Amino acid sequence: MGPLSLLTTPPKPNPGLFKRNPPIAGEAEAIEAAKNGDADAFSKLYALHKRRVYTLCLRMLGNVSEAEDMTQDAFLHLFRKLGSFRGESAFSTWLHRLTVNLVLMHLRKKGLQLVSLEETINPSEDDAPKRDFGARDPALAGSVDRVTLERAVASLPPGYRMVFVLHDVEGFEHNEIATMLECSTGNSKSQLHKARLKLRELLRQPEQLPPLDTKREAAQ
Amino acid sequence: MSDSPNLTNVNFDNMTQAQFEDYLPDLFAAAGRGKVSEDPRFAKFLAAHPDCMNLVRDLESIADTAKSLFEPSADLEPSDAVWSNIASKLKAEPQNLD
Repeated sequence: MGPLSLLTTPPKPNPGLFKRNPPIAGEAEAIEAAKNGDADAFSKLYALHKRRVYTLCLRMLGNVSEAEDMTQDAFLHLFRKLGSFRGESAFSTWLHRLTVNLVLMHLRKKGLQLVSLEETINPSEDDAPKRDFGARDPALAGSVDRVTLERAVASLPPGYRMVFVLHDVEGFEHNEIATMLECSTGNSKSQLHKARLKLRELLRQPEQLPPLDTKREAAQ
Repeated sequence: MSDSPNLTNVNFDNMTQAQFEDYLPDLFAAAGRGKVSEDPRFAKFLAAHPDCMNLVRDLESIADTAKSLFEPSADLEPSDAVWSNIASKLKAEPQNLD
């Protein structure tokens, strides 16, 4: 199944994501009203979900301008597709899946091969995490805080970042990621593991992580 | 890598560190919401290989913290121009095309 068909196929219920995406007060009413063309209701849906959708786009794309453009596209697409939402999954799960598929199509249109073929989501050897058996392998000092982790995730090679965000942040299962990225579930598991290993490397030297780019560049 | 290797008949007690790490992607995937570091099947191996225990705990910590990223921080939101653009395009196109 290609990404285009995923955009129009109702998703199967995912109990795990229902747990992470509990219904928001007033959301169901806003969805029904927006389906009937209520502009205020659609505005409410935007207000409820804009930050999550934008953050998802920003993490996948690593660029503020593109993330804002994709957020816009995602909500326009939502407006057109809202009538097909049947409530089999949490609304935010459905919206995030729609957003992920739009971002992946955008990346493919840009000619980035990293999400199109199994072998090309593997970052280069230079980017791969390094293991030296026999050498000392100290644990991370202290617990991982979310701000530092966010910076480290932004520093990941795109292929690793994609799988890590989809699995560990968004909560998609490996089989779902495999379908979205058109790779095997084994490859998804392997890429996730390498992403976590790479993050461990990056988190050992947090002072070397670049600051997060959260501002739109001027004169886009 | 196969998609779902059979882990039930694997004896982890006498593995080398490299062999154990080869299994880690599948062990984490199979653990789901559980923890590899707390699974009794690996207790003997991990007790004998503290570097591996450190690695497993660090990767679990990274995965746990990643869940907290699902809720975006308050300062991360699109600019007002995004909604302005959406609103103007919605006015220009027919309602609920599909």
